[in-house]
Amino acid sequence: MRTGHFQETTGQLIALTDSPAVIGWTGVLIAGLLAAPLVVGNYELTLMVTVLIAVVGAVGLNLLTGTTGLISLGQAGFLAVGAYGNAVLMVDYGWPVWLSLPAGGVVSALISLLVGIPSLRLKGLYLAITTLAFSFIVSHVILYAEPITHGPNGIFVNGAKILGVNVQKGPALYYLTLFVAVCVVLMVLNMQRTRLGRGWLAIRDHDIAARAMGIDLTRYKLLAFVVSSFIVGIAGGLLSLQIRFINIDVFGLILSIEALAIIILGGMGSVAGAIMGAVFLTLLPEAIRIAFNLILTPGSAFYSTYVYEIRGVAYGAVIVAFLRFKPDGLIGLWRDARKYWSNWPLAY
Amino acid sequence: MDLFLLFVSTGLVIGASYGLIAMGFALVYKATGVVNFAHGELVMLTAYVAFSLTQAFDLSFIPLMLVTIPISMLIGLALERIFIRPMLGEPVFSIVMVTIGLAVILRGVTMMIWGPDPHNLTAGVTTRVIMIGHLPFYAAQLMSIAALAICTALAWAFLRFSRIGIAMRAVAAHETAALLVGISVKRIHAIAWALSAALAAVAGVLFAMNFKLAPDLWFQGLKSFPAVILGGLDAILGSAMAGLIIGLIENLSQGYIGQGLRETSGFIVIIVVLMVRPYGLFGDKDIERV
Amino acid sequence: MKHLAGAVIAALMGSAAMAADPGVTDTEIRIGDVNIMTGPASFIGRAVSIGSKIAADEINAAGGVNGRKITIVTEDDGYIPARSFQALTKLLEVDEIFALNGTSGTANVLAMMPLIEENNLPTIVSTAPNELVYDPVRPSVFTLGASYSDAFYAQLKYIHENTQPENPVYGLIRQDDDFGLAVEHGYERAVKDFGVKDGGIVRFKKGTSNFAAEMIQMRAAGVNVLANGGIISGAANILSEARKLGMPLESAQVWSEDMPLSVNLAAQAGYDYYVGDYVALTGDDYDAFVEKAKQYVTADDIAAMNRYTLVTYAALHAMAEAMGQCGQDLTRACTVENLRKLKDFEVGGIMAPISFDNDKQLSGTAIAVYQLDAASKTFTRKTDFADY
Repeated sequence: MRTGHFQETTGQLIALTDSPAVIGWTGVLIAGLLAAPLVVGNYELTLMVTVLIAVVGAVGLNLLTGTTGLISLGQAGFLAVGAYGNAVLMVDYGWPVWLSLPAGGVVSALISLLVGIPSLRLKGLYLAITTLAFSFIVSHVILYAEPITHGPNGIFVNGAKILGVNVQKGPALYYLTLFVAVCVVLMVLNMQRTRLGRGWLAIRDHDIAARAMGIDLTRYKLLAFVVSSFIVGIAGGLLSLQIRFINIDVFGLILSIEALAIIILGGMGSVAGAIMGAVFLTLLPEAIRIAFNLILTPGSAFYSTYVYEIRGVAYGAVIVAFLRFKPDGLIGLWRDARKYWSNWPLAY
Repeated sequence: MDLFLLFVSTGLVIGASYGLIAMGFALVYKATGVVNFAHGELVMLTAYVAFSLTQAFDLSFIPLMLVTIPISMLIGLALERIFIRPMLGEPVFSIVMVTIGLAVILRGVTMMIWGPDPHNLTAGVTTRVIMIGHLPFYAAQLMSIAALAICTALAWAFLRFSRIGIAMRAVAAHETAALLVGISVKRIHAIAWALSAALAAVAGVLFAMNFKLAPDLWFQGLKSFPAVILGGLDAILGSAMAGLIIGLIENLSQGYIGQGLRETSGFIVIIVVLMVRPYGLFGDKDIERV
Repeated sequence: MKHLAGAVIAALMGSAAMAADPGVTDTEIRIGDVNIMTGPASFIGRAVSIGSKIAADEINAAGGVNGRKITIVTEDDGYIPARSFQALTKLLEVDEIFALNGTSGTANVLAMMPLIEENNLPTIVSTAPNELVYDPVRPSVFTLGASYSDAFYAQLKYIHENTQPENPVYGLIRQDDDFGLAVEHGYERAVKDFGVKDGGIVRFKKGTSNFAAEMIQMRAAGVNVLANGGIISGAANILSEARKLGMPLESAQVWSEDMPLSVNLAAQAGYDYYVGDYVALTGDDYDAFVEKAKQYVTADDIAAMNRYTLVTYAALHAMAEAMGQCGQDLTRACTVENLRKLKDFEVGGIMAPISFDNDKQLSGTAIAVYQLDAASKTFTRKTDFADY
């Protein structure tokens, strides 16, 4: 029986994990994900790609909101900038996708400085509303900057190839998003255990205290904006590769809200939580659809009229219920389950 | 000059609508520290309730409001009791997220009850054009401006003179201290929601009378954010004023600059205001800046 | 490198061709419909479902397509392009549809386009006949309906030739997206062709409800012929502002304004506005259609019917005709080929006969101009179906 868990050096404290079990299971997960296209159907694969894109976006937002405590309701704006950056460079300027995808992220990061600087003085809900305003302004600019963005016509994003393989569909797209998602997760996990990451956490917990300890708030907050927007921009680029057509309708306000819901439901500030939240919320409509199909016969009168709206209501209800009964999110649920498992049969 | 006055007069009409909605936001924020993202949905829901009442009983405007406002207050109370009260003590942002979830629910429920078709809501008010000097108005537009004035006056009197209003200000100033002097914070929160729902009903009915009743009415909630920020999130009376200013800015920017700026100008104002005066024109200045 | 190797292997495995086209059994043909079933625009999705149901029931009652019954599978996209993509993926992979009839809005159908092309999925676009859909032409995509551009040109031409207002000044209010752009094309063509005075073009953002400033500008420019690019409550609010400002106006409107729910809103302003539409809104053929519909759908559905019901009905019949010509050996390629050959296919007079045998695979471009009588909320037909 384990009696306790002791760490004796700084190295041990900041290591990603010291548990062979975690390393083992992560290996199993990665192997499973790599093998997935051999097992699952095309639709499931598309869903998995959507989930992975959501993971990238959620990890990015989590860095800003969960880790640094800067709340953003403007994710749709950053996604749009990243997607348009990727699409314009790839389609109009003929850049290869391995260059245009990160370049979209860079554009998004640069734009984030524009929001970041005025936002430095704000926090909490004020910042949330500023970023919301930002996403409205982005959509306006995209619509009116026709020579660059094709304005209302939108852009078809076709022919992205890496080493001659079309990476916009099927397993190739899946492996590309998986690769990006794993890179992003590793990057953020590692960033969080550096001086920078600890500085962000300090700002979240108490910014005045953080400053007193010598953390340059301006620089750290702006860095959080830049890194987070870079990641979210890449998620936008991946989205444009998946859907293969973007226009301004793709990046509605609903995306910003879903992004926030993902990290809150997953458990703020935790990368694992963001991942769980992304998986859960992206698959939730699917689960609700399947549940409804079990209860109701498709084609019945009730089904055709109300079911679509009820699905939407159920989505909202699950979010509310989760916040009500499990406010620390999925990651909290996971920690409880783990504690229960490792302590059983003791109470704690 | 005539053109300018026309822009101004119509700007005040839409501004009154923003002001009424913004007051509802500010009221809940002041008392509970939460931005209620479902307020726009509440505006829509109460307007639909009023619509059903006019269908069933053929009420004229004043009786309609007298029935709709109490019903809306009950809805506000119920929503607070079911969704918000259990979250007391949770981080503010979890509660805000609950209101976002609530917004999704209310939108779906409204669609399920009333369907997607848009409607006219006249509430027995004449649709003839009324001339004031050279400026034409519809009766409902003048009522909008009047309603904003009345609600502002009532809100001022309520906060200044009534026991509950003073208690509400105490809760806003310091929740724990208010609790210590014997104010039931829970009750104040509930009252804030009920009053905000009453404001939502006034705003919703008048908006629907002026701009039709459709299931996208909830979006006016977001459109009113510039007014809330300009006024200051916690400034109830300031929000009313700021609503008018935003209405004017929107109309004048559309009128003289164009390029679809109307829908964006308000949000540009938000960014500028937050850079220069983050607590808004009328808000409390103790917002931390680090 | 490991990922790439995996990708190559998986791609090779996935490309093993399947023997028969999905969605067809000996007794059934599955037709997909991605539409707006939630949110403020869901009256479109509902009307489309009703049209599909009437057509499918009618075809099935007459023995189906060579003995195979048509089944409609509807998926909601809530008017969001990313969801349209997901919805069509689901229809293709899970429900295994054979063809697609019902494609939501313009951005939505464009988001589905890569999937449609990849699967050579026979598709008739009837609710968003935007130029972006048929230019460039996609081999398996057929468009049923006139462009917004032609619809406005037709109305302005009618106004120009018949009502002849004194000192005509034209003006346009349009949405600042792809749809608005199409409207503007029609407007500019009209202004140039008729040599009339252009009072100006104003753009607004989707979802705008306050049009006061726009109409003040229109009045200041002396506009008395308005191309009203607002939809539903937007169009009604534009007219309402015009009436307040006391503007004498001939107003040309989007075809969505001929739906009963739009008329109810807009008639209040009292303008006898025009619409150009590619389906019949009045007349014996229309009445016959409603009578027929009553056999298959409920009274509620009849009340929720509108122009989108008619276009979907016509499109499904065209699809069934093409599938029927393939005989027992039904494939997507054969259906597409027969659609391409379709000529003068009659759909009970509810729109001009359908012919897809042109470069653009486009039909139903003939427009009739109607005028509203605001007092009685009824339309009268002013012109026959004609191309512009």
